[in-house]
Amino acid sequence: MGKEVSESCLDILLIETVSSYTNGFYAGKPELVAQAVEAIGYQVGNQLCERYTMERSQFSDHLEAIKFICTDFWIKIFKKQIDTLRTDHKGTFVLRDNRFRWISRVSNPISEDSGATFPSTLPVNFAQSRKMHLYFPCGIIRGALSNLAIPCAVTADISSLPSCIFTIQIRRD
Amino acid sequence: MTSTACFMIVSRNDIPIYEAEVGAAPKKEEAVHQHQFILHAALDIVQDIAWTTSAMFLKSIDRFNDLVVSVYVTAAIHTRLMLLHDSRNDDGIKSFFQEVHELYIKSLLNPLYLPGSRIKSSHFDTKVRALARKYL
Repeated sequence: MGKEVSESCLDILLIETVSSYTNGFYAGKPELVAQAVEAIGYQVGNQLCERYTMERSQFSDHLEAIKFICTDFWIKIFKKQIDTLRTDHKGTFVLRDNRFRWISRVSNPISEDSGATFPSTLPVNFAQSRKMHLYFPCGIIRGALSNLAIPCAVTADISSLPSCIFTIQIRRD
Repeated sequence: MTSTACFMIVSRNDIPIYEAEVGAAPKKEEAVHQHQFILHAALDIVQDIAWTTSAMFLKSIDRFNDLVVSVYVTAAIHTRLMLLHDSRNDDGIKSFFQEVHELYIKSLLNPLYLPGSRIKSSHFDTKVRALARKYL
């Protein structure tokens, strides 16, 4: 149970998913795109979590579960661990990955020589479309945690490529 | 190897998503209902024990006459595989649970399967019965 897939195929699939939702299915409605992509990620996260926790028994608390996500889970998917984990012990966890695999191919037009051929509105759209690519991994994390019975909300932030910061907010109610 | 056995998978919200009589003994009608009742009554005990231990396989947590309930909990909380049986074959039961767990994960990987709904696939059913014959 676990066949191998070429990484470039996976990259192309993800890029195309985001692009077809943004330009095709829900053109002009970025909130719906975000929801749809995140929902796909949620289901994938559920299934991956089931698979990877097969040998393990239950986690004793939330911190253990998050640590599992940062190490085993991340290694299985991205072949490396999360670089920094910070928490405020009140339900917020900040995960930082210094070189996030799925956006390592995204170019950064701001740092390139701005040859004045880009219209001034382009940087805004770039930021928007880059954010779209992050909804899928957010959904994966949310799905994995909800499979471990931890309801949460996950947001991502790429202000500094190629590192990526995921913020997990555990819902207590 | 005539043995009575009733196998059930319970998901979160305590809804049974799969039930099967896998014993080799001839089934009697009242016995089927009784088996289900015994398994449901054991759910409370499972809850208590599952939080205290970190093992996955909980052997014989309850007895009724000469029938014994064994339970296997997964890391994804609240998914329990429960077996009611009268044999004493612990290792066989453990391997049975592990194989059914794999089958269950495979059925979860089906994108058209809603987690928490009943497993209606006849393929799953056939496989589980074959495993039961092999290990129990």
